[in-house]
Amino acid sequence: MQAKELYGRQLLLTPVEAQQLPAGTQKLPALKVTGQQVQCLRCGSQLQRRWAQLPDHHYYCYQCLTLGRVSTLTSLYHLPEPNAFTDLPSLTWDGQLTGPQTDCANRVKAAFQARQRHLLWAVTGAGKTEMLFPGLAWALQQGLRVAVASPRVDVCLELAPRLQAAFATTTVAVLHGRQPAPYVYRQLTVCTTHQLLRFREAFDVLVIDEVDAFPFAANPRLTYAVEHAVKPTGAVLYLTATPSRELLQQVKRGQLTISYLPLRFHRHLLPKIQVTLAPKWWSHLQHGKLIKPVQRWLTQYATSGRRFLIFVPRISQLAIVQAAIQRMFPKMMGLTVYSADPERLDKVQQMRDQQVQYLVTTTILERGVTLPGIDVIVLGADDAVFSTAALVQIAGRVGRSRDRPTGAVHMVCASHARHVKQAQRQINLVNRKGQRLLNELSTLSTTANH
Amino acid sequence: MNCLLCQRPLTTKLTLKWVLSWQPIVRPVVCSLCWQGFRPIDRQTACPDCGRAQLQPQVCRDCRRWPTQTQFYNQALFEYNSAMQAYFKAYKFQGDFRLRAVFQARLKQTLSTIKADVVVAIPVNPATMQTRGFNQVTGWLAAGENDGWLVTLATTKAIKQATKNRQDRLLTTQPFQLAAEHPDLTGKTVVIVDDVYTTGRTIRYAAMVMLENGAKSVIGLTVAR
Repeated sequence: MQAKELYGRQLLLTPVEAQQLPAGTQKLPALKVTGQQVQCLRCGSQLQRRWAQLPDHHYYCYQCLTLGRVSTLTSLYHLPEPNAFTDLPSLTWDGQLTGPQTDCANRVKAAFQARQRHLLWAVTGAGKTEMLFPGLAWALQQGLRVAVASPRVDVCLELAPRLQAAFATTTVAVLHGRQPAPYVYRQLTVCTTHQLLRFREAFDVLVIDEVDAFPFAANPRLTYAVEHAVKPTGAVLYLTATPSRELLQQVKRGQLTISYLPLRFHRHLLPKIQVTLAPKWWSHLQHGKLIKPVQRWLTQYATSGRRFLIFVPRISQLAIVQAAIQRMFPKMMGLTVYSADPERLDKVQQMRDQQVQYLVTTTILERGVTLPGIDVIVLGADDAVFSTAALVQIAGRVGRSRDRPTGAVHMVCASHARHVKQAQRQINLVNRKGQRLLNELSTLSTTANH
Repeated sequence: MNCLLCQRPLTTKLTLKWVLSWQPIVRPVVCSLCWQGFRPIDRQTACPDCGRAQLQPQVCRDCRRWPTQTQFYNQALFEYNSAMQAYFKAYKFQGDFRLRAVFQARLKQTLSTIKADVVVAIPVNPATMQTRGFNQVTGWLAAGENDGWLVTLATTKAIKQATKNRQDRLLTTQPFQLAAEHPDLTGKTVVIVDDVYTTGRTIRYAAMVMLENGAKSVIGLTVAR
């Protein structure tokens, strides 16, 4: 085992590996067992004694098993991060940031320099990744260790090549559960938030992309992972289009600084959510019929040829909805997509290539998909599977292209629901900020013209 | 409470029948969907020697290759399919000891139908015990079975059992012996509990030890076949 592989890490080792440890390796306990409580020191979970028990008064953690089992029979091995980097990389990206983007990028850089915890609330389709570049370039030049983490593997896989292209002189380490390549010590790491559980006080700068995405939002272990993977003197940047209540509360308490980017790159406001109350939308569908408003919208799409997405709460509803549409509009081509669909990527690609006019889908297409010029219909938006963040993200699928920066977001609800209201409120809030920024920009440009 | 296998929330419906039966509420630990993945073996048509699932109750091809033994037969609860494989991966190799609860009730129920004088679990070797921290078989059973009186000779397994083929497995030597202090087996019916019956080599060696020490008959009970 080389010292480099342990810098800033906390690893479980096999007995053979543990025999040849580099000098100075710290052996840390893996579980804390006190009178009443059992706590995993890797993922921070409070464990139920009854379930965590092994024979002979040993305990194990059942929460982070997929990363290798932590138990009182094992230890975590760690070496402090020395920042042993040579050949500090510089930015090789030559794109341009817009005015508001530059402001945000400067704010991010300042947050890194001051080692702050910072929240960047940028609307869907604002160009978040590019805004990171100046700040990251500064950090890498200082010899700091940097990680960009996201709860979703697909986000990581999309981020890694973009970061690699932006810092072409260095190699980006990519870590996630499906990665077969062994770990390499690098200055810039892109990983899933789960992988952060294997780090301990490693990073000077840690960026968490899409903080609101599942499973981060619902998982206290990952919050713990972030706190422990960053150095006590390190900076954390949260990026999101839909901050959770907890994050906003931290802002209120002054534990987190915040900056906004309320305008999309094409400088248009977000499309508003239009709610339609229809208590019987589902019983209509069970009889193979669509409710009147939906019929009306679809008739428009059938004549205009506009593409659209229909979201439903459950996988079992996909086929029923599609059958109903097929019956009314036999000529309109469409497909259904769900998370475990083996042809998922292919079907989305068909939609991109305009071979089909619509997709019926579940929340899996809520983020990370850009289909220019589409409209969106959510059936049963009041269902609990659609969180506020999910609804804002779904609304964010609309109006992402310069050619058609607006569009319709229809949400059909059986009853009023708080999270739908909150989603509307969030979009209105961002739009108000966006309008203010637009006004400022227009006065600036008119004064500049004079 | 969530399903131990798929982590989806479990819901138990309280029926009137249950309430009136005055029985304690038995909460399931896995959801019905996961439970359906395990295929139970019908004893009526299974191989009478090894418990393999078949359509006709006759001695199967594998068992015909073993020398006939009238004092031993094996009984298995489930087929070894992909769901079972996934289960053993999580339980034995990932070491999720919670998963013992999945088959606990079923095994206990089957054991109560067998008239046995002594119940013994196949031991794991000390090195495995050190890293895994538990014996997968005793996990299923209540406690107290095999308090160390059936022991393995080899202290370390050079090659994992799972990576060997049938030929290699059959060539292994007797790994078991009885400890100095062991219960009297003379004239008794012994039930040996193991996780999987694959070739039958392991459990037949264990049965041999029992028979050599005076047991009248030996019944093997495995979760999978």
